[in-house]
Amino acid sequence: MPDIAGMGDRIQTEVQRAIQRSIKGVEYFASSGPALGSTPKDIIHSKGTMNLYHYRPLSDEIYRIPILIVMATTNRGYILDMVPGQSFIEFLLKKGFDVYMLDWSAPRPDEKSLRMEDYVLGFIPDCVRRVQEDSGETDVNVIGYCFGGVLSLLYASIFHDGPMKNLVCFTTPIDFREMKLFQNFSDRRYFNVDQLVDSVGNVPPEMILSSFEMLRPASRAVSQIQLWENIWNDEYVKSYRMFDRWAQDTLPLAGEYFRQTTKDLMWDNKLYNGTMTVGGRPADISRITVPIFHAVAEHDHIVPYEAAKHLISKIGSTDKTEVILKGGHVSLVAGANAIKRLWPKLDSWLSERST
Amino acid sequence: MSDKTNDPVQVWHTMLAEMEKGFNAMATQVMGSEQFSRATHQLTGVSVGAQKTVGDLMERYLVSMNLPSRAQMVSMGERLQAIEGQLNEIRALLNRANAGDASSDGLSAPRPPRTRLPPSAGGGGTS
Repeated sequence: MPDIAGMGDRIQTEVQRAIQRSIKGVEYFASSGPALGSTPKDIIHSKGTMNLYHYRPLSDEIYRIPILIVMATTNRGYILDMVPGQSFIEFLLKKGFDVYMLDWSAPRPDEKSLRMEDYVLGFIPDCVRRVQEDSGETDVNVIGYCFGGVLSLLYASIFHDGPMKNLVCFTTPIDFREMKLFQNFSDRRYFNVDQLVDSVGNVPPEMILSSFEMLRPASRAVSQIQLWENIWNDEYVKSYRMFDRWAQDTLPLAGEYFRQTTKDLMWDNKLYNGTMTVGGRPADISRITVPIFHAVAEHDHIVPYEAAKHLISKIGSTDKTEVILKGGHVSLVAGANAIKRLWPKLDSWLSERST
Repeated sequence: MSDKTNDPVQVWHTMLAEMEKGFNAMATQVMGSEQFSRATHQLTGVSVGAQKTVGDLMERYLVSMNLPSRAQMVSMGERLQAIEGQLNEIRALLNRANAGDASSDGLSAPRPPRTRLPPSAGGGGTS
């Protein structure tokens, strides 16, 4: 028997929400989103596509070893510094860590010739050296997110004698055969990467964005329907705007770097096979011996667990931890899910190794 | 509270979620096929080739009209960016030099000591 009273309440709620939707809908289009990446910081160094930030400490006493976060080259670093209360950077600072970030801006047309070695043998070591100078410490902890994790692994395998003290990777792929759709998008029988790079120089952000969106083609339309349904809910709208803005803010990729990534990683799977070289130097992750923490997401559609799971078994370290958490590629590191799951786990792991 | 199975809003949400899942799964299957890959890359190849040809023709036309081409404007933009970059470097150096002066005068905020211990060692892990 239908619950008439309950149904009446439900209809009343829906009518109120419909009214709120009309009011808030107008507000949505008339206002800008929340300010992102606002944790106070100083630019330590900037060179073309590379930016090194130092975040101002928020604690009276900090751990000895500073952290250098290496961001993925496809996206902006403010995913880790959304808004106060939902910022991974702010969380680390309040927990007493000294935080630096290697973030990327769009490569300029003249930077189309940047290669993997510019990133792994140039930008990262340069930033590590500047972090050492700025902090006065020899040891540095490195955190890499997604492809920032791949770059950090390459760096760590070449500079395995130091100065990296601990390595943290978030959702970092090493077996590129398991990134099934990306494999199909870059099928060597049909994808002429040389023609693309020779024609466009830097790979345009629209192309990167559409390849991400094609992994779940219905999700964008559905998320817009859900936004309209929840537009009466200020928290939902705020969160939607933050994540949507970040997702749309995709960066172009330097042409040569894209060409190398496609050939060495997508086609030849060299990182997994242990045959990767960068600038002629072998980059075999079995040579990494520092403690490592790898966080992966159960429902990651960009880097599926199968693509990331061999990292821990292949790395040379004896002190190694893998955590598999609920969530997706982004919700693993940012948002309510990350606040209660990943961040406290990382804090307890890293604090023990940062003195 | 109304029964979830009778709640039209809940039914709509479930249907939307199922449709999303179904459509994504179907699209993944289509995009995972060899035919999709071949067709997409043929189209991309044609589009990239056409873009390059049009770009080359346009550049020749602009030269004949004595107008700057996009490449020249981009090159000017790059030079401006390089100058901006150098200005930023100079500004950073000046800031650092000023900070050095200030700290020698005892004016700048000192950095916190690097003496923190983890909670397991009795450190202040509660802030």
